[in-house]
Amino acid sequence: MNQHTVKAYGDELNQLTAEVARMGGLAEAQVADAVESVARRDIALARAVVGRDVKLDIMHRDIEKKAIRLIALRQPVASDLRKALSAMKLSVDLERTGDLAKNIAKRALSLAETEPMQPLTRSIERMGRLVSLRLRDVLDAYTASEIDRALSVWQSDDEVDEHYNALFRELLTYMMGDPRTISACTHLLFMAKNLERIGDHATNIAETIHYEITGDDMVGERPRWTPTPSDTAPGMGQMPLPTPDL
Amino acid sequence: MALPESRLPDRSLPMPFDESPSPVAPLASSRLWTPGASGLLAVMIMVLIAVAQPQLAAWLLSGAVVVGFVTWLGSRRSGSTQISPIGEGEDGEATRFPASQALMDSVFEALNDPVMIISGGEADDIAGRRIVLANGAARDLLRIQREGSLLVSAVRDPNVLEAVDEALFGGISRTTDYAAAGARTRHWKAWVRPLPSATTGSLALLGLRDETDVRRMELMRVDFLANASHELRTPLASLSGFIETLKGHARDDAVARDRFLDIMATQAERMSRLVADLLSLSRIELNEHIPPSGRVDLPRAASDVLDAVSVLSHEKGISLVLDGARRAVIDGERDEIVQVIQNLIDNAIKYSPRDGTVEIAVETDLALDETMKARMEGATRLSLLTPDREVGARYVLVTVRDHGPGLAREHLPRLTERFYRVEGQKSGERAGTGLGLAIVKHIVNRHRGGLSVESAPGEGAIFSAFFPMAADRAESVELQ
Repeated sequence: MNQHTVKAYGDELNQLTAEVARMGGLAEAQVADAVESVARRDIALARAVVGRDVKLDIMHRDIEKKAIRLIALRQPVASDLRKALSAMKLSVDLERTGDLAKNIAKRALSLAETEPMQPLTRSIERMGRLVSLRLRDVLDAYTASEIDRALSVWQSDDEVDEHYNALFRELLTYMMGDPRTISACTHLLFMAKNLERIGDHATNIAETIHYEITGDDMVGERPRWTPTPSDTAPGMGQMPLPTPDL
Repeated sequence: MALPESRLPDRSLPMPFDESPSPVAPLASSRLWTPGASGLLAVMIMVLIAVAQPQLAAWLLSGAVVVGFVTWLGSRRSGSTQISPIGEGEDGEATRFPASQALMDSVFEALNDPVMIISGGEADDIAGRRIVLANGAARDLLRIQREGSLLVSAVRDPNVLEAVDEALFGGISRTTDYAAAGARTRHWKAWVRPLPSATTGSLALLGLRDETDVRRMELMRVDFLANASHELRTPLASLSGFIETLKGHARDDAVARDRFLDIMATQAERMSRLVADLLSLSRIELNEHIPPSGRVDLPRAASDVLDAVSVLSHEKGISLVLDGARRAVIDGERDEIVQVIQNLIDNAIKYSPRDGTVEIAVETDLALDETMKARMEGATRLSLLTPDREVGARYVLVTVRDHGPGLAREHLPRLTERFYRVEGQKSGERAGTGLGLAIVKHIVNRHRGGLSVESAPGEGAIFSAFFPMAADRAESVELQ
């Protein structure tokens, strides 16, 4: 992989990549478990997700430290420099993903105290599965350095957005129909928002991978959803903006 | 499951002529070559010389006694140590077995479950965990390109990594669950065993066992109960309501009675259709992980469906047009493929205005990206199901287009949901069960294909389903 005269240098770079992959695996599991804790109303699982978030923070700091050390001591250039930089960038995205997953798990805890809302949690589950799939694809692309796979994740982000918007409408209808469900629905709405943001982080990761491999930014506009007047259902007021850049 | 012949290396099993020394030559353990035999020979020669030269007889005979004694001792010692693990038989037949590394290799390779051997490296260096050996199933599942690649690039699951670490550095065996997400999520049981290592560094054995079916059955039972009971409640409530009315004050009203009985018949029919759809859905779901066997010619299946629905389309004055490829063979279950096309065409007819047209087209030999391109201008396109990306896969695409009212974009992501019906749309007197597209999606998923929808309000909708082309094209031409 790395043809370096100093073997330790190549080892350090490899180790950095491996650490990011491991962190990605943990973030992936956090998202999947958080969604499952919502779907199955599993309090123990939700608590486990909340507890495990510390690990991601530690890994994030560790990767950052190692990358900085590598840059300072080895002064990498070209693809090695990009590798070190993208490891840092990825760890930031993954750490945020973990935070969002933790937030979902926390909301799952409060949701478990209310009545079950089967059709809605099912929608969350479906959206969660889609987002997990994105995350898996993009991490696969990272470990295998496959640019096509990263590109396909980048291009299909609008699917997550569509799901989010559909869920938004569904939740509004529920809340209008029965105001007693408002508190539970608000939790679900934030969960959907968090999932949508995890999808955005996956897209960011895809961009970073593209940069790492080619050294260029992604060109062209990502397919985006723009609201049209006909999309605003009567009586529902202002529709959400599709993908706020947060 | 037997592996295809081509997957095994040509001469993986040892042939008699591969053995060295040749089995025809006297074996090392043969009587002729034992130390006892050589000793006996020496003693006999010495005795012969002693007979010929009597003056040396005393020396030679005492020499012969010494040689005989030493030989006896030697053969006794070697006899007691000749206990080998797979008992070397007197004819030496079994000695070949432990020697044939090639056989053990092909056994490992042919194992049905993915199995890997992992080397440890340093305890704190995650890059040290490498896959030193992986069998065919593991390479296929985890896309391991070469031996010696990083473990984390194949398996990222934190539980599995933890279990591997425990086996490598703690010598503990463990079993853990592992879910591989994908178009078809698979659940695995991962087991890790520490291995005794000959060289420096520790080794561990990691194996995966498929438990998808068990999980699926559990989930399906729960789902089926929830869905079915909810959906059957409505027609059942109306039936029992009418029965009550008929028993009560409508008993003697002939006009009302006939009307109520008609409604009841419709509801009962709806219930039976629902049950039939639910059963067919659950059957398809059970088979979702079994790749279909058999071959289907898609255009022919489509024209069969056209014949079958012609009665229905005539009633509404809708003309059905089929064009595109004449022949496109895919690997698939004929009944299921017919059901996909049938459900899509049924929907198109249902939502078409009177005297409209429904266009069905078959395109063949497309790459995955070509199947994804937009086919309707100004429409929203959404992929309802995307297959796992496979290098070099070619697809056959069937599109069904109607010119009905179209679908608003917010409905698109939920179309394949069970019992999802687009509100405010009248699907005519033949109300659907809300399961048609769910069935389509599951069938397409089983065939490793994809499904997408394009629609613009007022313009109609295009549903496209695509399936991987049959692998062997030469054979597919011969089929007909």
